Amino acid sequence: MNPVAVTLTPARPAAPPPLAPRSSRGLGERLSPYAYIAPFFVIFAIFGLFPFAFTFYVALFDWNPIGDQVFIGADNFTRMFADPRFWNAAGNTLSIWALSTVPQLLLALVLAHVLNHARLRFALFFRMSMLVPYVTSVAATAIVFAQLFDRDYGLLNWLLGLVGVEPVDFVQSTLGSHVLIATMVTWRWFGYTTLLYLASLQAVPRAVYEAASIDGAGPWQRFRHITVPSLRPVIIFTVVTSTIGGLQIFTEPLLIASGAPLTCGAVRQCQTLTLFLYEQGFGEFEFGYGSAIGVALFAMVVVIAAINYLLSTRIRAD
Amino acid sequence: MTLRSPLLLAAAAFALITACTPGAGGGGGGGDGKSFEFWSFAAINQKSSVDAYREKHPDVDIKLTEVGTSTETAQALTTALAGGKVPDLVLIQGDNLPKFVQQPQNFVDLRTLGADDIKGDYLEWVIEQSVAEGGEVLGIPTDVGGMAVAYRTDLFAAAGLPTDRDEVGALWPTWDAFIETGKRYKQATGKAFTDNAATSVFYQAVNQVSQKYYDGDHELIYDSNPEVRTAFDLGIKAATAGITAGQSSFENAWSAGMGQGQYAAVAAPSWMLNSIRSNAPDTAGKWDIAKIPGAAGNWGGSYLAIPKRAQNPQAAWEYIKEMQSPQGQLEHFTRSGALPSTPSVYQDDKLATAKDTFFSDAPTGKIYTDSLLGLKPFYIGPDSATIGQEFLNSITNVEQSGGDPATAWDDAVRNIKTAIGG
Repeated sequence: MNPVAVTLTPARPAAPPPLAPRSSRGLGERLSPYAYIAPFFVIFAIFGLFPFAFTFYVALFDWNPIGDQVFIGADNFTRMFADPRFWNAAGNTLSIWALSTVPQLLLALVLAHVLNHARLRFALFFRMSMLVPYVTSVAATAIVFAQLFDRDYGLLNWLLGLVGVEPVDFVQSTLGSHVLIATMVTWRWFGYTTLLYLASLQAVPRAVYEAASIDGAGPWQRFRHITVPSLRPVIIFTVVTSTIGGLQIFTEPLLIASGAPLTCGAVRQCQTLTLFLYEQGFGEFEFGYGSAIGVALFAMVVVIAAINYLLSTRIRAD
Repeated sequence: MTLRSPLLLAAAAFALITACTPGAGGGGGGGDGKSFEFWSFAAINQKSSVDAYREKHPDVDIKLTEVGTSTETAQALTTALAGGKVPDLVLIQGDNLPKFVQQPQNFVDLRTLGADDIKGDYLEWVIEQSVAEGGEVLGIPTDVGGMAVAYRTDLFAAAGLPTDRDEVGALWPTWDAFIETGKRYKQATGKAFTDNAATSVFYQAVNQVSQKYYDGDHELIYDSNPEVRTAFDLGIKAATAGITAGQSSFENAWSAGMGQGQYAAVAAPSWMLNSIRSNAPDTAGKWDIAKIPGAAGNWGGSYLAIPKRAQNPQAAWEYIKEMQSPQGQLEHFTRSGALPSTPSVYQDDKLATAKDTFFSDAPTGKIYTDSLLGLKPFYIGPDSATIGQEFLNSITNVEQSGGDPATAWDDAVRNIKTAIGG
């Protein structure tokens, strides 16, 4: 089976028409390109740039949406750094990220290796079905998984019960709820990551694998010495993007604890940073404090993006 | 992976509501003067009142929106007040009310529409909660909760407990006796007695106090008030006694467990009866209602308010005046079971002799009005809801997540200090 084309180089544009004499090009013609792209930038400015900048402004206030707005400088930030709930949310986010990213990337690596096998039949079918979890709505996924993991009526606890294990209350325990959310995240993203890896793998000439086989390399050695090194740039890319995605996990924790959704349980056992932001901003209506948390999240994403940039330029230089 | 940033999303939503700042909507008036828009919460059956009003006034067009839970309705109202389109009439649950009463400039002072004339119709301690510091009357109470315990007669019989509602009430003069009854039930059946300790024990007991989280001068006393501590310790005692099903109120599994007889008794203010009816329709006739342990108390109740920027305040006020009059509330009781906040109808036959077949013909009107007799009103402040939630969370943590009962109180107080910033 022919590998799918992986390069995204656009077709070469046709040669531009000869330029009209300069004098005949009016002001309108010179401005028109900007008019064509303006709709995007206008909408972006209203719904993207302005709210983004405004968040930084609001973060400096004690901002009651239906009352007074008092300038308090950096007080929201001092409060945040001293707030155990913030650090709890940060810890939960980190834990859920680790529990979801590591298995997800390992699984994707192995699956990509298998799907790239020359003798695999129905390869297109398997490759496409990888994307099914990705196109399923997050809310639907969360509701189904929450039922599978339910303490009293869940399929998983029923199976555990068959082998004599006491029912586990996943949502109420810290580790259990993290595992539950991480499973949902892994389920949703592993296919997407697999396809990214597969695309990179297909750029590796078949001949390299064949030569290695002739030299006596077994499957594990081919995986270890050909697959993994050739995937290094895309692995770093997926680690970075999944970290940024992991900082923003929101829907899953919001939906699994139906009694206390905004805190994800009685003791905030699975409240992530974005959920904490939402709780403070739109549950408690502390807009200033919520914005400060948003600014902190933004700073974390910037740092991670910077690391991504440094790593990828280093790899390109190699 | 895309960078769908909730930060940006949240910020965008925020911009939307701040961009159109208050004032843009213009001050009251406008519209045809008779029709109005009404936001209520779901599952409280305001629709029956609206339908009744429509029938009497066919020329009035009422647009009723059931926003969601009471909390969601309050959140939507906050967002709307901050700069969106406001309804003409809105239902606010008692727990959410203080935050709005603190910002009276957002609502029509109902005295300007004639609230002084009807103020005396309502239980004083109930309407008092909707009066702002400057004396503005911001809301008219639609109902009060009252308190009782709903229990399954078939499950009680199987456990060898009495089933008659008076004998059952006599089983638990105090909360300690309630917990002891729970132990007897558990011993006989091996099953859970009540749904959870946080709501069915603590939340009831803490609403039977003379002062709750604030003292008479509106100062916070939640961490030093012995009455709160006693209620909390009862909650912890119930949580560690092994008599609860560990089902937090209003969660999906709680609703399911109700139908399956996972627990035999549940705290039931008058509005809870609707919830039992819809969660466990197959158990009709197997329930009964007994008096609550301890003293008189109230849980819940809602208010109708008119936002300042409402387009049709007069039409909304006409609705309030008619449907929340003592007679209007009495009729609403016969339709939905919500207990009136107007004591003048408590002796009315329609209420005093009302029976509910779903609950073995229990005299609901009498049980709930009795639970309000001799009630000592306490002040509910802006942070009351947050404080109550943290206490609940701490008890739930002991009950369901293996939290340490010995440190539960200190944990709760610390969490409250963090949450309310003081």
